[in-house]
Amino acid sequence: MDNAATTKPSLTAFERAREYVTEYYFNPSGMYREGFALQGELKKARSALLSPIASETAFELVFTSCGTEADNQAIFSFARRGNAVTTEGEHSAVFASFTELKNRGLAEPRFAPLNADGSVNVEKLLSLVDEKTSFVSVMHVNNEIGAINDINEIAKRVKQKNPRVIFHSDGVQAYGKIPFKLAKEVDLYSISAHKIGGLKGVGALIKRKSLVLPAFVIGGGQEMGRRSGTENVFGIKQFEYVAEEKFKTLKADYARIKEYREKLWAGLDKGVYTRLSSENGTPYILSVAASGLRGEILLHMADDKGLIIGTGSACSSNSKNRYSKVVLACGHDEKTADGVLRISFSPQTTEEEVAQTTEILNEIGLDLSRRMK
Amino acid sequence: MKRVIIIRYSEIFLKGKNRGFFERAFENNLRRALEGVEAELVKQIGRYLVQNFDENELEEIVEKLKKVFGLHTLSVAYETDSDMESIFETAKLFCRSEGTFKVESHRGDKQYPLTSVEISRKLGGMILEYGKGKLKVDVHNPDFRIQVDIRERGKALVFGEFIEGANGMPVGTAGKGLLLLSGGIDSPVAGHMMAKRGMNVECLHFHSYPYTNIQAKEKVVDLAKILSEYTCGTTLYTVKVTHIQESIHEKCKPQYMVTLLRRFMYRIAERQALRIKAQCLITGESLGQVASQTIEGMTSSNSVVEKLPVLRPLVGFDKNEIIERSVKMGAYETSILPFEDCCTVFLPDFPAIRPKLEDILREEAKLDVEGLIAEAFESVEKIEI
Repeated sequence: MDNAATTKPSLTAFERAREYVTEYYFNPSGMYREGFALQGELKKARSALLSPIASETAFELVFTSCGTEADNQAIFSFARRGNAVTTEGEHSAVFASFTELKNRGLAEPRFAPLNADGSVNVEKLLSLVDEKTSFVSVMHVNNEIGAINDINEIAKRVKQKNPRVIFHSDGVQAYGKIPFKLAKEVDLYSISAHKIGGLKGVGALIKRKSLVLPAFVIGGGQEMGRRSGTENVFGIKQFEYVAEEKFKTLKADYARIKEYREKLWAGLDKGVYTRLSSENGTPYILSVAASGLRGEILLHMADDKGLIIGTGSACSSNSKNRYSKVVLACGHDEKTADGVLRISFSPQTTEEEVAQTTEILNEIGLDLSRRMK
Repeated sequence: MKRVIIIRYSEIFLKGKNRGFFERAFENNLRRALEGVEAELVKQIGRYLVQNFDENELEEIVEKLKKVFGLHTLSVAYETDSDMESIFETAKLFCRSEGTFKVESHRGDKQYPLTSVEISRKLGGMILEYGKGKLKVDVHNPDFRIQVDIRERGKALVFGEFIEGANGMPVGTAGKGLLLLSGGIDSPVAGHMMAKRGMNVECLHFHSYPYTNIQAKEKVVDLAKILSEYTCGTTLYTVKVTHIQESIHEKCKPQYMVTLLRRFMYRIAERQALRIKAQCLITGESLGQVASQTIEGMTSSNSVVEKLPVLRPLVGFDKNEIIERSVKMGAYETSILPFEDCCTVFLPDFPAIRPKLEDILREEAKLDVEGLIAEAFESVEKIEI
C-alpha cells in the first residue's frame, strides 16, 4: 500500500512491449528501415500518451529518463532570470531544484504557503508573482497528502498577472490517475511511467508546441534535439500500453478507489489516527497521523506484518529534517508530523487488501500506544 | 623502471624467541591486505618487499598496507641496475631543486665493488655536481634523503622518504576481544586501538527494531567493514534488545532506563564473548562523556560482568582526540550519519547520572532478568564482514 512511491509494473503491457527487446531492438536513429520503423512506434507512443490529457495540436511530448529529469529540464530551462515561484508542498525534484536556482544565481526562488488540506494558497502564490517572475511551478497532486491543485485555473490567474511567465506543473501523481485536460495556459507538465504500472527509468515532459525548449541532455539530437540519448523504446512502449489500460478505466477506478479510501478511513481507530488528507484530494492517497507515535516505527511494525506503507517523516534523527516539510507547511505541529503514515492505492488494490490494511494499522497503532505508555 | 614497495616492521623485532610467531602473523595479515590485487610479497631479512604489481595500483596497495598493524614504515623504491650511473639517474627523481640532502646506503650484495660508505660518498658527489650549488649535504638534519640499497644480481633499489605505517603489533598476536559496537564515533576507535595492540576484534551490536531503522543497522555493518580493514576481517553479532527496553519502560523508574539497559547489554556481551571464546569486552566509553559514562555508571554496568575484564581504551580521551582518531581511521564520515543506533524513544528527560547500586538493584528486581536475556539471545544474528 505504498503505490505513490511506485507501482507493480503491468505484465500485460510488459508482454505486449516484449518484442521491442527480443525483435525490434534497433536504434531508432538508424538510417535503415528498421530504425525508421521504430521512429514511427515512438511517434505512436507520444500520441497515445499525450492525447488523453492534452490537445495534440497545442502540445507535444519529449521523453526523459524520469519525472525528476522532466522537472529539472523545465526548471533549469526557463527559471533563468528575476524570480521563480513554487509551493512549499513540492516534491524534492522541484523543491531542491528551486533551492539550486539560488545557488547557481539563476533566479530568486519564492515558496508559496499551503492551506491546511495541503493545496497551495492561491492568493498568496499570486502575491509572490510580479513583473520580474519568469517561472512558476505548482504540483498537480501532492505526493504526501494527496491534495489536488487546480493547475489550469492557477495558470490562468498567474498569466493574467504576468503573461510572460512560463508555467510548469509536476503531474507525476496525477497522470493516469485523475481525470483532467491541460489548459493552454500550462506550458510544461512532467509525468512518470512507474507511478502507473510502467517501468522506472521512463518519464516525459509535455510542452506547449510553440514553446522553444532548449536541449538539456546534449548529444545525438534525439527527441527533436531536446533530449539526446538513445530512446528506451521498450520502456516507452510499455508506458504507452499501460497508459492505454489506465485511461480506459480511469473514471471507474477513480470512483472505486475513492470508496476504498473512505472505507479504510472509516475503519481506522480514531483514538490513534487523525486524518490529514481531505476528501477532495486524490483518492489514491490517504495520509493519516498517529499523533504521539513515530510513523517510522509503525512503518517497521507494519513491514513485519507484511504491510508496506509510506511515512511522512524521513529516517533521520536530525530534528531539522525529521519531519515532513509538507506536513508542517500544512500547519500541523511536530508531534503530528512525527506520526504521519501515507497509505496509497493503485487501481489493482482490492477490497480485501483494504480490509487487511485497516486491521493491521489498528493493531500496530494500539500495540505501539500501549508499549509507549 | 620497476617499482618496489619496501616494508619494515616495528616492535616485532623486540620479541625474542617468539619472533617467528609474530612474523607469521604479520605476513598473513600482509597477504590478506593484498588480497584482490595482483602483487608478489617477498620476505627478506628484517623486511618484506612487494613487487610485480600494476603501477596504476600503487596508491591503492600503499593505502592497504598502511592499515596493517605491525608495519613501521614503508618506502616506494625504483629498481634499477646497480652501476653508479644508473643509480645516479634514478636518484635524480628524488632530488629537490634546492636544499640539503643526505645519502644513505646499504649493501645486501657484499660482492659489490664499493662499500656502503663509498657508495654514499660517490653518489653524494654526483648529486652535488648535479645541483650546481643549490643542493648541499647535511648528514644530521637534511631536507630530504636518498636511500640506496644494493641487491643481488646487479640490481639496486633507490628511494626517498619513509612513509609512516600503522605501527603496533600484528593482529592475531594478542588474543581476542568482543567490541560493543554502537554506531557512534567512539566504539570503532576503541576497536581500532585494541587491534593496534594485536588483538583480534569481533563486534557486538544492540538494536531496537522496529524502533530503530534498517539503515541504522546497515551503518553498523559499514562501520564494522571499515574496522575490519585494520582487524583483518571481523564478525558482527547483532542482538535485539527491544523487549528489554519495553520491559524497563513498563516496570521501572524512567531515570534508570539507560543504567538498567546497559547492565543487560554487558551481561549479554559477556555471555556472547564466552561463547565465541573472546577474552575481554571492549567498549568506547570515555569518562564523563555522557550521563551513563560516569564512574558510578561504569561501576554499575561493570558489576554484572563476572569473568572477563572490560577494556576501555578511550577512558581518558577527550572527544576531540577520539574524533581525530576516527577521522584518521576513516570511520568518522560513516559514524556521523544521522541514523539512530539505540532507541531514543524511551530516553528519559533526566537520566540518573550517579546511580546508587542499591537503587539499581531494587529497580532491576522488578524484571525477569534471565528470561529477558534468554529471549534476546534468540535474536542473535551473525554477519561475517
